Amino acid sequence: MTERVRGALTVLLSAHRPEPGRRAHILSVLSAVQEAFGYVPTEAVPLIAGTLAVTEADVTGVLSYYPDLHTVPRGRHVVRVCLGEACVANRSTALLESLCHEVGAGLGQTTSDGRLTIERVYCLGNCAVGPTVMVDEQIYGRVGPEELHTILESHP
Amino acid sequence: MTTTLYLSNDTSARAAGADRLAHAWAGERDLQMVRTSSRGAFFLEPLVECDSPAGRLLWPRATLSDLPRIRAGIGGVQLADVPFLAQQQRFVFSRFGQTEPLSLTQYRAHGGWQAADRVAGWSSERIIQEMKASGLRGRGGAAFPVWNKWDIAQRTASDQKYVVANADEGDAGTYCDRMIMEGEPFRLIEGMLICAKAIGADCGYIYCRWEYPAAAETMRAAITEAERAGVLTVEGRPFRLEVFRGAGSYVCGEETALLSSLEGGRGMVKVRPPYPAVAGLYGKPTIVSNVLTFATVTEIVSRGAAWHLALGTERSKGTVALQLGGRIRQPGLIEIPFGATLREVLERFGGGMADGGRFKAVQVGGPLGSLFPESQLDIPLCFDAFNDAGAVLGHGGIVVFDDQTDMVELARHYMTFTAEESCGTCIPCRIGSVRSRELLERIERGQGTPVDLELLADLGETMKATSLCAHGARGPYPVLTAIEHFGPEFRSRLRNIDP
Ligand SMILES: Cc1cc2nc3c(=O)[nH]c(=O)nc-3n(C[C@H](O)[C@H](O)[C@H](O)COP(=O)(O)O)c2cc1C
Ligand code: SF4
Ligand code: FES
Repeated sequence: MTERVRGALTVLLSAHRPEPGRRAHILSVLSAVQEAFGYVPTEAVPLIAGTLAVTEADVTGVLSYYPDLHTVPRGRHVVRVCLGEACVANRSTALLESLCHEVGAGLGQTTSDGRLTIERVYCLGNCAVGPTVMVDEQIYGRVGPEELHTILESHP
Repeated sequence: MTTTLYLSNDTSARAAGADRLAHAWAGERDLQMVRTSSRGAFFLEPLVECDSPAGRLLWPRATLSDLPRIRAGIGGVQLADVPFLAQQQRFVFSRFGQTEPLSLTQYRAHGGWQAADRVAGWSSERIIQEMKASGLRGRGGAAFPVWNKWDIAQRTASDQKYVVANADEGDAGTYCDRMIMEGEPFRLIEGMLICAKAIGADCGYIYCRWEYPAAAETMRAAITEAERAGVLTVEGRPFRLEVFRGAGSYVCGEETALLSSLEGGRGMVKVRPPYPAVAGLYGKPTIVSNVLTFATVTEIVSRGAAWHLALGTERSKGTVALQLGGRIRQPGLIEIPFGATLREVLERFGGGMADGGRFKAVQVGGPLGSLFPESQLDIPLCFDAFNDAGAVLGHGGIVVFDDQTDMVELARHYMTFTAEESCGTCIPCRIGSVRSRELLERIERGQGTPVDLELLADLGETMKATSLCAHGARGPYPVLTAIEHFGPEFRSRLRNIDP
C-alpha cells in the first residue's frame, strides 16, 4: 500500500467512524473502500479494523465471505459470464470457455495487458434474453461468441 | 405531428436492444420516446409500441429500419393478437408495459397507491385480518402465511420494528422481483408501507442483490420521489426507507443470513427460533418478505381479500408469476392463477423448444429445485402439488434444457454452486457439497465407479436430513433427480471395472 493510498484510505475511513454506542457496519465500509480503490488491499485491514474499533478477524471475516469483495486489483474491465441455469441451458459455459481461450486468461484471471478480468456470475435476472454477459455495469443479452467479440471491442 | 413511441427501460429489454433503438432514434424529428416498464414478453424485445385509435400497437423485435413503418402505423399488432400476453390473467403485472416507472403521478393515474390510501382508515388488526382472509402465502419460497408473520410482529412489544424487502432474488432463472423494482418501484414501497402500518414499524430496508444495479438505482430514485411527494409516511409520521446492496452471496437470500448481512457482518444462517418476526434486525421484531409478496399485498388491499381467495387452488391462492427461460421459443414472465400444469404452461406460453432443440428436462424453483423429465410434466403449478412430489415451486423460475444438455456436467455444475455458496455453518452442507462435487467431477472425467453413485446418494440423504437451511437440505435435489431420471447417462460414464 503506497503512502498515497494510505492517505486516501484514512480520509475515506474517517467518514465511516462508528457513532458512539453503535457497532460499525463492516460490509458498508468494505464496499466503500472497494468502490474507491477497485479492491480492498489486505494490508489495509489493520487500519480499517482500528478505525472501526473491531478486530482484524472481524474485518477479514466479512472480507473473505462475500464473493464480490476483492483483495487484488482487477483489470480495467471486468467481464462476467452468467453461469445461472437459464444461461447454462443456452450454452453460456461454452461461451465462457471460448472467451478464456480468446483472451488467454482463465476464470478469475486478468489478461497480461491488464485490460480484462474474467469472472462468472450466477444470474443477472436477464435470463429471458440470455446468454448474458456483463461488462463492468453494462448488461448484454443473447450473446453468442461473435457478439461477445464485438462487445469486447467496444470496451478497449 | 409528433409520434410517441414506447420502449421498455427494463434491463432485459435494454440488453436485447431497446437502448440501441432509443439512442439511434433520439435525434429524429417529431419523435418522442417514452421509456416504460416491461410487459415481460422478453422474446419480443426490443418491442416498440405506439398509440393508435384501437389502442397500443406493438412492433415486436423491432429493428432500426422499422421506424418509417412504425410512424405510418403499418405492420403493428394488437395486444390481443399476441397469445402470450392475451392468455394471461394479470393483476400484479396488469399495468406493466404502460407507465414510466418513476412517475408517481402515472402510477396513481393507473390505479396505484389506492391501497396505501385505503389502509389509512384501517387498524392494524383490520389489515392483518384482510391478509388472513385472502389466504396470501409468501412468494419467496417458503410459502408461509403472510398474516401469521405480521400478527406475531404486531403482537411483539418493542420500541422499534423493521420491515425488510427481500430483494436478493438469488435463484437463477428468476427475474420477477427485478422487473417489479425496475418497473413499478412504488408498488413495492406501497406494500412495505402497508406492512409497516400493520406491525407498527417506522423503518425499512430493501436488501437488493449486487447483481441488480438498475433495480437498486430505480428504487433509490423512487424513495426520493415518494419522500418529495410526502407519501413516505406511516400514520402521518415519516417512514425511513433505505436500499442496501448485497455483495454476491446466494445464501444472503435466506432471511436470517440476510439480516446478519444487513447488520454488516458475514451473511450466515442462524438457528430459528427466534424467528425474525419476534427478534430480527438488531434483535427487534422484523418482517422479511419477498418483493412479489409486498407487491401482491397492494393488490389484495385495493381489490379486496375475496378477489384473491377466489383465484388459484385449494391451498395456493391468487396468481403465480412464472418466469420462463432456457431453451424455449418464448421466454418471459407470465402471471396466471395457481394450478395450471407445467405442460400447459410450456406449451401455451413457452411456444415449444428453441430452434433445433428437443425437450430433455425442466427445472422448477431455482438451483434448489428438482428436475422433471417429459413424463412428469402434468404436475400442477402450486405449492402443495410440488411439496407432495418432493419438489419446490420456489420463486417460480422455470428453466428448460434440451437434448444437447450433458446431465453429468449439469449435475456437477449444480453441486459446484452448492459448494461455492454454502455459508459454512453446518458440516453436512459445507463438506458434503464439496465431496459430492468431487465425486461428480470424477464421474465426469470417466473415472467414477458404481460406488461413487451410491456415495453421492448417501451424501445427498445426509445433507437433506441434517442441514440447517434449505441450501444444504435442497442442494442435492437437482443432482439426485438428474440421476433418478437420467441414470443411464451417469452409469455409461463410469469406469469399466473388472467384476
Ligand atoms: C438458501 C436460501 C436462499 C433464499 N433466497 C431467497 C431470495 O433470494 N429471495 C427471497 O425472497 N427469499 C429467499 N429465501 C427465503 C427466505 O428465507 C424467506 O423465507 C423469504 O424471504 C420470506 O419471504 P416471503 O414470506 O415473502 O416468501 C431463501 C431461503 C434459503 C434457504
Ligand atoms: S445448510 Fe449450508 S447454507 Fe444452510 S446454514 Fe448450513 S452451511 Fe449454511
Ligand atoms: S441465468 Fe443468466 S441471467 Fe439469469
